[in-house]
Amino acid sequence: MAKVRLLQLGALVVVLVLWAAIAAMGVVSSTALPGPRAVAGAFGGLFGSEAFWQAVGETLRGAVTGLLCAIAVGIPLGLLTGVYTAAEESSRLLMEILRSFPVIALLPVFLLVLGSTPGMKATVVFIACVFPVLLQAQYGARSVCQAVHETVRGYRIPRLLRLRRVVLPAAAPSIMTGLRLAATTSVLVAIGVEVLTTLPGIGHMIMESQQAGASARAYAYIFTAGGIGYTITLLAQFAEHRLLRWRPPAHQDEE
Amino acid sequence: MPWKPILRQLWLPALVFAVLLVATAGSTSFYFPPLTDVLATLWRELLHGGLVSDLWFSLRNILLGLALATVVGTGAGLAIGEVRTLRLATGPLLDFARATPTVGFVPVIILTLGIGSGPKIFLIFLGSVWPILLNTISGVRAIGPAVYETSRGYRIPWPLRLRRVILPGALPQILAGIRVALSIAVVLMVVSEIYGSPVGLGNFILQSGSSFHVAETWAGTILIGIVGYGLSVLLLLVEHRLLGWYHERAPRVRSPRPVRAAPSEIEESNGVVV
Repeated sequence: MAKVRLLQLGALVVVLVLWAAIAAMGVVSSTALPGPRAVAGAFGGLFGSEAFWQAVGETLRGAVTGLLCAIAVGIPLGLLTGVYTAAEESSRLLMEILRSFPVIALLPVFLLVLGSTPGMKATVVFIACVFPVLLQAQYGARSVCQAVHETVRGYRIPRLLRLRRVVLPAAAPSIMTGLRLAATTSVLVAIGVEVLTTLPGIGHMIMESQQAGASARAYAYIFTAGGIGYTITLLAQFAEHRLLRWRPPAHQDEE
Repeated sequence: MPWKPILRQLWLPALVFAVLLVATAGSTSFYFPPLTDVLATLWRELLHGGLVSDLWFSLRNILLGLALATVVGTGAGLAIGEVRTLRLATGPLLDFARATPTVGFVPVIILTLGIGSGPKIFLIFLGSVWPILLNTISGVRAIGPAVYETSRGYRIPWPLRLRRVILPGALPQILAGIRVALSIAVVLMVVSEIYGSPVGLGNFILQSGSSFHVAETWAGTILIGIVGYGLSVLLLLVEHRLLGWYHERAPRVRSPRPVRAAPSEIEESNGVVV
């Protein structure tokens, strides 16, 4: 374990050195790729500033609002369509078309109809997040094996009880995966919307910094966004671990 | 009876389309013009307007960026997947890189490198290389240890092993990665063109939207949807072509449990990542 950590640290150092070398050689202009030292310096300045925390707050607010709506809509719909084969078959093609739609392309339309408001940001996040949640819930509900189905039917277990005690636990691992995907997506979409509009948030700060010529600050904001996404992934993995301890591990990881 | 399942899948989309058609038929709302108007506009723009050149510009960027990402992602993924030290060392770095939103790089890259097609291809590459890379790694790892040991035991030279054992073994996962990358590529195409571009579909919907040509905006949005869906269907066809052996043999060769949709495969394919 300690050896692995050392290796990972080594890889990080190699990447940083390479980055510094490329930046120092001047192959790309320093506005496109500032050196790691400059970015680290920008980070130091940011953590003390109020604007930074405000931007992070704005982005997270839009992301969380949209995500919660997506969960509230996506999980019930996914479970329902997963349980009833007819519903799944009828909605399959529609789902395929809708989920392959690049949500961000709706932005000009939303800008027209809803205007540049925080509600618009949350709406775009909602649309982007509802499909991973829904599809994973559906996939999970379908994974209930045939024997269990037959048993439930044989004992005439009422519908609601069946949904709560059979389908939901069976779908839980898959739903957790969907939540993890949706959580990362929500932050990314919120930032995407902010980059393209004038709504406040991390995305807007990236654009503003770059336009002001402070590309080190822009990079610091980008890495902040990456850090948020990474933290969400780690938290979700941890939660998955805790909540789904009853489940036999799907595959053993080495290490 | 091949008609029945097709009908069963088709009735809802057809119904939705019909409802939209009827609901907007006499629409006088400024924001929601009749669907027939939108489709007519789309047709007219494609035939007589400049929409075809926009479409071509966008498609070319997507395909070039994606091709570059496929080559780099698969190559690096095979190397990292094969070498254990490399895999352990780069794990967290790759996770972090994947979690970093490429849309954040859009202002940085476009403001410094210009609004031409090169920076856009680079952005598309940057966004779509990660899923391909990560999926290739897990694809290489998913090859059965028996296969692996056998090819080792017979001392099959590594170029041959790479070509006949590892690459085909990882191919299902690689293609799943490309499918995710495709949706990311479409999103980055749109974002980079909305952010700054004289041509392209993203520019088209932005321009018509900000000059309140609502029918054109909807038409462009629908066209982007068609492009996204069309490309994913095309990829699916390629996949069936390349992986016929995999889908055919999967139920017999593998364990009786339903393993067709491997968790990692479905887990990666939420087509909405930005």
